[in-house]
Amino acid sequence: MDNPYERIAQRIDEVREYERIAGFAKIARRALANNSFDGVLTMVGVMTGQYLANVSDPRTVIQVGVAASIAIGVSGLSGAYLAESAERGRELAELERLSLTDLNDTKIGRASRMAVIVVSLVDGLSPLVSSLIVLIPFFIAPLIDNIAISYALSLLIGLLSLFGLGTFLGHISGRSLISYGLRTTAAGIVAVVLNFLLNGRQN
Amino acid sequence: MGNLRRLVLDVLKPLEPSIEVLVQLLADLEGVDGANISIYEIDRRVENAKVTIEGHDLRYETIAGLIEENGGAIHSIDEVAAGDVLIEDVITPQD
Repeated sequence: MDNPYERIAQRIDEVREYERIAGFAKIARRALANNSFDGVLTMVGVMTGQYLANVSDPRTVIQVGVAASIAIGVSGLSGAYLAESAERGRELAELERLSLTDLNDTKIGRASRMAVIVVSLVDGLSPLVSSLIVLIPFFIAPLIDNIAISYALSLLIGLLSLFGLGTFLGHISGRSLISYGLRTTAAGIVAVVLNFLLNGRQN
Repeated sequence: MGNLRRLVLDVLKPLEPSIEVLVQLLADLEGVDGANISIYEIDRRVENAKVTIEGHDLRYETIAGLIEENGGAIHSIDEVAAGDVLIEDVITPQD
């Protein structure tokens, strides 16, 4: 039992068992796809807005972008935490009522708490990370040395990420990867086009 | 204290962890030679199970602890047997 590998293996088994009881992998997977999608699309919107507003200092773009990333990350984390803990709490209470026992200090209680933590973390971290990825061209702006190229690269990364997320969804559903990828990419293009049409470029 | 050889429990348990997991956990306990769980009533979220455990030196507290840890509630102890020889219930003319 003192062997660290054994302890890690035991811990993994434990998590697997909690997953079997509380079934959070599917929810986490959905949250990962959904919220990464949100993160990328939000950032594509923020980028387009900054481009239309003629923001040419990469530091400003980064500051606005990171602020949006943090906000969407906190939103995902807190929203999922509140929703998931309310839902899990209700489920546990129902099970406790049916079995006439206090389940808090049992495997079931622990599995339920772990589900809340895993789902909230995935919900918070996936939009944070995915939106920061879209910002990468501005972090390396000094190397690129042309803000227009940074904007273009950022849009390209955004659309590629959307395509990637689409293929992930296609993989889950067992259907065509390309058609799902094209659909999510189309959502990104629609966001950009709408921004250009409704928001107009300032001269 | 005489060694406990057989224990038959009436348990109400949630559907998860499933009985196939629980029966293996029970069988792995020290002093247990074998375990059996049969379901006689099933509900939407919980099920009623008859848990039969035999061994050479059963520890009731450990067994009850394991069942409770897995969300089960022991409603009653329906049969017990202890000693060097496993004694079955004897049918008498009154039965």
